[in-house]
Amino acid sequence: MNERDEALKLLLQRAAPGPADRELRRDLWPEMRRRLDRPPVHIPLVDLALAATLILCLLLFPETIPSVLYLL
Amino acid sequence: MMGTVEAELEQFTRGDIQAFEALFREYQREVYGWIIRIVHDSGAAEDLTIETFWRIYRARTRFDPRRSFGPWARRIATNLALEHLSRRRTERSLDDGLPMRALATRAPDPAIWADVCAKVLAAFDELPAKLRVTATLAMIEERPYAEIADALGISTNGVKSRVFRAVRLLRKSLEKRGVCP
Repeated sequence: MNERDEALKLLLQRAAPGPADRELRRDLWPEMRRRLDRPPVHIPLVDLALAATLILCLLLFPETIPSVLYLL
Repeated sequence: MMGTVEAELEQFTRGDIQAFEALFREYQREVYGWIIRIVHDSGAAEDLTIETFWRIYRARTRFDPRRSFGPWARRIATNLALEHLSRRRTERSLDDGLPMRALATRAPDPAIWADVCAKVLAAFDELPAKLRVTATLAMIEERPYAEIADALGISTNGVKSRVFRAVRLLRKSLEKRGVCP
C-alpha cells in the first residue's frame, strides 16, 4: 500500500471502527436448540398438486391470467 | 488411532446432537467474533452465528472430520455475512453514528470531521458487498490476506485484487463527494 492508500485506510478505520465490544455476551446454544427442534416446514401433497395444476392451466391458457390476477 | 477432536467431528457428521453442542459451545465465540468484524452489528452477528451453525448442521454429512472445523465454520459465516450485507443496503442507524460522533468531538473541527466521516461511510456503503467485506477485513480490521482468502474461499491474489478495486472505487466516490484522502 502506498502513502495515499494508507491515508485512506486510516480515514476508514476512524470513520467505521466497528463496535468496541466484540465479545459474545450470552450462550447462544438455547436458541440454536430451539432452531434444531423446530419441525421442518411441510407442504401437503394436495397443495403442491393444486399449485402445479394452476400453473399448468395458466401456461396452457395464458389469456386467463388477467382474470386470475383480477380475482386475487 | 483417531484423536478426541476427530472422534467428536466424526460423531457430529453422523448427526450426534451432543457432539454438535460441544462444537457449538467451543466455536460460537470465534464465529460471532468473526461475523461482528464484518457486519459491525451485535444483534445481526448473533442471528448470523445461529444461522451459520444451522447451515453447518445441515451440511454435516459433507464435512470431512480429518479437516479443521474452524476454517470451515468461518467460511460459511463469511458467506452469510456477505449475504447479509448485500441485503442491508444501508440506512445507518443512530447507534452506528456513535463512533462518528465520538470522533467528531475529538477532532479539531467536529462539524467538518462529522461531515467527512459521513461521506466516507456513504462511499464505503456504496461498494459492492464482496469488495466491502474484503476491504473491511483487510483495511479496517487489518486481518492477514491469507486469513481473508481462506474465509472468502479465494486466493491471496484475489484478495489483493479486491482490495485494489475497493480502494480505487472508494477514492473515486470520495472525490465525487469532495473528499480527497
